[in-house]
Amino acid sequence: MLPSGSISATHIWKRFHADRRRKLLRDQIPHLSARLRGGGGRGWRWALRDVDLAAAPGESVGLIGSNGSGKSTLLKILTRVMYPHTGNVQVVGRVGALIEVRAGIHPDLTGRENIQLYGTLLGLDRRRIRERFDEIVAFAELDDAIDRQLKFYSSGMQMRLGFAVAAFLEPDILLVDEVLAVGDASFQQRCLERMRAVLNQGTTLVFVSHDLAAVEATCSRGVWLHQGIVQSEGPVRDVVNTYRQWIEAAAESTVEVGGELRLLKAEVSGPGGGPPKTQELLDVQLIIESPEVRTGRLYIGVSEGTATPIFVLRRDIQLGAGETRAHCALRSLPLPRGRFYLWVGMFEGGKRDPLPWHPATPFDVAGPSLDAAPRGIVRLAPVHVDAAWDVER
Amino acid sequence: MRAVDDAPVLPPPEWRFRRKLHPAALFRELWEARALVRTLAEREVRIRYKQAVLGFAWAVVTPLVLMVAFTLFFRKAAKIDTGPVPYPLFAYVALIPWTFFSTSVAQGGLSLINNVPLLNKVYCPREVFPTASVVVAGIDSIISTMVLGLLFVRYGFMPKTTTVWVLAILPIQVMFTLGVTLIVSAVMVYLRDLRHALPLILQMGLFVTPVAFPLDVVPWQFRHAYVALNPLAAVIDGYRRAVLYGQPPVLSLLAIAGVSSLVALAGGYAAFKRLETGIADVA
Repeated sequence: MLPSGSISATHIWKRFHADRRRKLLRDQIPHLSARLRGGGGRGWRWALRDVDLAAAPGESVGLIGSNGSGKSTLLKILTRVMYPHTGNVQVVGRVGALIEVRAGIHPDLTGRENIQLYGTLLGLDRRRIRERFDEIVAFAELDDAIDRQLKFYSSGMQMRLGFAVAAFLEPDILLVDEVLAVGDASFQQRCLERMRAVLNQGTTLVFVSHDLAAVEATCSRGVWLHQGIVQSEGPVRDVVNTYRQWIEAAAESTVEVGGELRLLKAEVSGPGGGPPKTQELLDVQLIIESPEVRTGRLYIGVSEGTATPIFVLRRDIQLGAGETRAHCALRSLPLPRGRFYLWVGMFEGGKRDPLPWHPATPFDVAGPSLDAAPRGIVRLAPVHVDAAWDVER
Repeated sequence: MRAVDDAPVLPPPEWRFRRKLHPAALFRELWEARALVRTLAEREVRIRYKQAVLGFAWAVVTPLVLMVAFTLFFRKAAKIDTGPVPYPLFAYVALIPWTFFSTSVAQGGLSLINNVPLLNKVYCPREVFPTASVVVAGIDSIISTMVLGLLFVRYGFMPKTTTVWVLAILPIQVMFTLGVTLIVSAVMVYLRDLRHALPLILQMGLFVTPVAFPLDVVPWQFRHAYVALNPLAAVIDGYRRAVLYGQPPVLSLLAIAGVSSLVALAGGYAAFKRLETGIADVA
């Protein structure tokens, strides 16, 4: 028997009907004969394929992956809401789960009744729930809305209540799916703080989010799911980086640089043509081909792999017919060690952008690593800041 | 990076997920869920009576109206002989278990569908939902039984000592009702048509169950087979004999009804547990 707070799932396969058929008799009749002949003739879509997931008590696992990769299905299987097709699932202890954004428990009940009902579902007795009640209401900032039916809550309120209930009713295992998607910035911060506090109490956490920085800040281990398959697993930094690089590659291969301009060359180099270094000169060389003379705004940006850049530089530019060379020198590169991507785009303000925003080339920066932030503090972007400390006593 | 196409197309069949259901563990889980049944039943009662103008009166109105209707039509038109017992009492005593059954199946049958938002988010033994509906129907039954006391006074009818037999008959009634409710609720998730068919089926049930007429209309040689298929017939007959006529129930019929109720409950529960695993997939 595993200790309380453990998760062990092995060889998990899960399938759904390929078409979400209505559950009506007249829809079933055509399939009936096929089914009688031995189950042929129906399509299945595999949501999870041979997925393993394990977590020791107190461990925090981040699940990342694009939409439809099976993250939520996996969480549902861990909560025993769903059953896998094959495999073995062991989840030991009380499970608090926040699945699906509208995670209040029952829309027809008031907030108060929801808290009671959820607590009972978690197996707490009424006294324990009452003890926690005020804390939950305060955290979710519900005040007098607590006696209103959940369906009249704003989505933010539902979210807050759902998170507060799941996180405050002393679960051994906390499963959190996309909490950060709805809440405002201050609530997101408090969620992360709460998750950290819960982790410090020894609760096991499985955290699903598209906010890679938050996953990196909260979890120690990462699992990347893609189309129902575990692509990568290990220390959260490594997994998140692999995932970012994959996003970049996918963006590069799918971006259809359909403008009239062509980017013939994009090169990034450090001092003296060598590799880029932190706080040193960075050279960006671009060659753009244009069929005619035109003017526009040329943007370059640097990102960690996603389309949201760490910084952007702009220049109004006039292109001649044929090739135009542009050269940009960054006098002091504010990036720490790591892999980054150069994004390029040119815009005129018309309907079609002559050169859409797209990743042009990856580059590696040599230099000092960033100082590690304490768990739960989300750093938006890695920036190297030249600073000097002076401590007096 | 593992390419999607490299993955084995299908999992080996021996990995097939099997839920291990130990009867002892099931029982413990159900026992631990009793607070949940209570919460759900409380909630259903509260919602029902908060929204309805007549509130708790509905528990009484349904059997009373049927009683009046039966009295008008069956006694006058069909000339059913109920011996020394006034026909309204004769019908009402049968209407209490029948209403318990039909309310349980009608409400409990929808209980899983109505709680889909919950089913998709949190785990709990799913049978708590239909069970809570049966509990609520039981509360209604208690209220309508109190009205039976008033009817006794109204007709100047003295209770019989054989009424203690109720304690033996009641478990049969509850087992059968629970078994049917469980299976209906689970099948309903997969076959939504049942929602529309159910009221009709229940109405037919009222006519193939000796509620308005005595069990005696079924010839003796068919009576055992009939009771095996419809244990409620023996339950109702037993209640009438014990409560109204001062006789013990027919033990052979009661035994058959007991066995088939047990089969209904065990079969219903087993089927429920089987269907349960796919509820979140289709709901």
